[in-house]
Parts: sequence; C-alpha cells; structure tokens
Amino acid sequence: MAERLSFYDEIRNNKLKSLALIIIIFLFFILLAYVISLALNFDFFIISIFATIFSIFYILISYYNADKIALASVRARPADHIEHKMLFNTVESMSIASGLPMPKVYVMDSEQINAFASGRDPQHSVICVTSGALQKLTKQELEGVIAHEMSHVANYDIRFMTLTAVLVGMISIIAQVFLRNLWLSGGRDSDRKGNGNLIILVIAIFAAILAPLAAQLVSLAISRKREFGADATGVKFTRSPTGLKSALEKIKHESVSPQDLKRYSKAVAPLFISDPFKKKFQNLLSTHPDINDRISKLSRM
Amino acid sequence: MALSLLLIALIAVIVIVLLMFIYYFNKFAVLGNRIDNSLSQIDVQLRKRGDLVPNLIETVKGYAKHEKKIMTEVTNARKALMSAPTLPQRMKAGSELQSALKSIFAIAENYPQLKANENFLQLQQELAAIEDKVAFARQYYNDSILSFNNSVGTFPGAFFAGLYGKKKREFLQMPAELRAVPKVQF
Repeated sequence: MAERLSFYDEIRNNKLKSLALIIIIFLFFILLAYVISLALNFDFFIISIFATIFSIFYILISYYNADKIALASVRARPADHIEHKMLFNTVESMSIASGLPMPKVYVMDSEQINAFASGRDPQHSVICVTSGALQKLTKQELEGVIAHEMSHVANYDIRFMTLTAVLVGMISIIAQVFLRNLWLSGGRDSDRKGNGNLIILVIAIFAAILAPLAAQLVSLAISRKREFGADATGVKFTRSPTGLKSALEKIKHESVSPQDLKRYSKAVAPLFISDPFKKKFQNLLSTHPDINDRISKLSRM
Repeated sequence: MALSLLLIALIAVIVIVLLMFIYYFNKFAVLGNRIDNSLSQIDVQLRKRGDLVPNLIETVKGYAKHEKKIMTEVTNARKALMSAPTLPQRMKAGSELQSALKSIFAIAENYPQLKANENFLQLQQELAAIEDKVAFARQYYNDSILSFNNSVGTFPGAFFAGLYGKKKREFLQMPAELRAVPKVQF
C-alpha cells in the first residue's frame, strides 16, 4: 500500500519549499544587480534610481489591484445571487469550513471547467469560476474545486503568487534597462576600458539575458508546488478527496475548442486550478503539475 | 567584563521569557476566540433554518392539508429551537427540526404538484444548503478545538496554559447531522 499522506505534513512541506524558492529568486535579483553594477560603474546608479522608483510603483499597483487585473483580463462578472445560488452556497460552505471571510464571487464565460482565486489577503479575496464548471460539475465536484481555491486563499498563495509575479517582472525590467543602456553606450565605453572589463561585461550580458528566464522558471516551479499544497488543504476543508478528484478527472477528459483558449492570457494561467491551455507535455515551462500526478496523490489521501 | 557579560545574558533571558509570556497569552486568546466565533457560526445557521420553516409550512399546507401530524411536529421542533436558551440546547433542537423536515420532504414525494412548486423547490434547496453549512461549521469548530488543545497540551504551551489556567476543551458531542448525499445530479 502507498504511504498515506497527512494533509498537515503536505502543507508544511509546501511552505518550506516555497520559502526556499523565493529566496532563490531574491538571490538571482541581487546577483544580477551586482554583476551589472560591476560592468557599468556609474551609469547604472542613475538608471537604477529610476528603476527602483518605477518598480516600487509597479509593486504597489499590482499588489493592490492584482484581483481586479486578473478579473478584467478574463472579463469576469460578479455572480448573481439567484442565478448562481448553488455556487454562492458552496463558496459560503467552504468559507465556513476554512474559517475565512466570504470571498467575492465571480463568473467568467468559458466552456472549459476552470476556476481561480486572487486578491492580496483573505479579507480581499475573490473566487472566479467558469460557466463551464457550473454546467459540467456536480455539487460535490464544485465543492472540491472551491475548496481548492479557498486553500489558495488560506495558505496565502494568492499573495505569494502576486509577489512572485511582481519580482519576476522587476528582474526582467532591470535586465532590460541594462541591456538597452549597453546598446546605447556600447561604442564609447569599449575605447576606455581594458580586457578585464570586457569579460565582466560579457558575464553581465549573459546574466541579464538568463536571469529573467531563470526567475520565470523558479516562479513556475513555485506555482506547481502550490497546486499540490492547495489540493491537500482542500481535502482538509471537505474532509474527502472524492469531489476534487472526480472534478480533475472531468477536466482531464474534456476537450476544448481553440476559440475558448483565446479567453485566457498567458499571464493569468498559473492562477487557475488547471492549465487553461491544456498542454499535453510536462516540462519546466508548465504552469501546473501533471493532472495524473494530482489525481494519484488525491487517491492516496 | 565577566560581570557585564553575565548581566547581558541575564537581561536576554528575562526578555525571552517575557516575550514567551506575551506570545502564549495572545496565542491562547486568538485560538479561544476562534472557538467562540465558530460556535456563533453554528448558531447563525440554526437560526436561518428556523426562519425558513414558517414559509415552508405555508407552501406545504396548500398542497397537503391532511399531513397535520408532520406539520405540527415541524412547528413544535421549530418552537423548541427558537426558545432554547443555550447553544447546546439549540443544537439539539436544530437536529430534531432537521429530522422532522426530512419527513416533510419524504411525504412531498406523494404530492407531485407540491414537488413541482417553485417555492417549495427553492426552500428544499436552501434547507439542504443550510444542512451542509451546519456540518461545515461543526467541522470548523472541532478543528478550532483541535488546534487549541494541541497548543495547550504540548510543551512549552502546556506550561503557560497551566499558568493562565487554560484547560483542554471538549469536542462537539451533540447529535451529528449527517450530510445529505444529493440524489439527483444536475
């Protein structure tokens, strides 16, 4: 028999791994800034002041509006108390089971079964469900899906994912600023500097190109880990893996028209309970863990 | 030199002990509040159930006048719920009301017109949802008790719990409401 996974252990493991991953992202960031400042002694400081001011604004705006940006990008509308009564009841049940405040409930038009949670903390959380999920899922399956989303809220994944996205964005911005600056001032610097600087410059260029990619990979790894964690916590709320498991089975077997994929942007894909683009192959660029892995973990709980 | 080192060590120990006192005081307060809040959540749902009953009785009367026995049973169960002074009594009355309601939904099977009534269907759905919510509220209450008891029962929490006079709390022993398994799947 496979070893039974305790959901409390699963949550603790997940938190430790996520912490390690975010530290790695920070290290990338510092390393990148350091190499760049070695390569361009003075110019970088002026630019970095602008970059810092810009990125602080960027962080604040995306931190406070993450939910609105996500909802707007998929054209979600507030759920109707009468039309979506079952959805409201399910969300309220799960908010009682988790002891969290009632999130705002939204519905988006899409034929596929999907859902996401967003917001900066449990007091400002939103849960959005596709119309396809409301049509195709039974009450118990919907409950499992909502429990999974409530877990993202309870584990502060929604804040964590927002911060990671902002950090990754910042690293890309700094790298871009450096590369552009280099392009503009490249000719005149090389006359003044010797061979040693050239090597550092080459390293810096590599770092600037690779850092955003690496940061992106790390953030995707975090995203995949968090999905397992949310599955585990969701089971704690419903006290049964059956609903979520059978919802994931349905998601696995549904086919979606190409038009439907246009409703989703790449940026919001990691938020959803399953990859909206339904990619078949699992790799470093996947936003979600393999659905078969998730189903088999749920079967062992 | 050695004396000042000793002094610094002493102050550090005092600060740490003081911080632990504050930490555990707050921890017990937060966990205790969580238990009280989850109890009131159960209460809210029980009251909502009671509030829906008169409306249900009115609807059922229109189609099934002869089922007086069940109707008075439900009405009495509701009265008991609404007048029960303490929460444990309300919970007991609440689950009695729930089983009385089950018999109303059972007799509805014999009255096709009642079964098709829009209002009746809505009330049935709403009461089923409340049943779920009561079950989840009880579950969260027991979760809260568990985390309270864990922090009171394990070291070093147990030491501070003794000082603050915090004791382990009881899990809910009231008649559990079994969650209804939906018969019809949409």
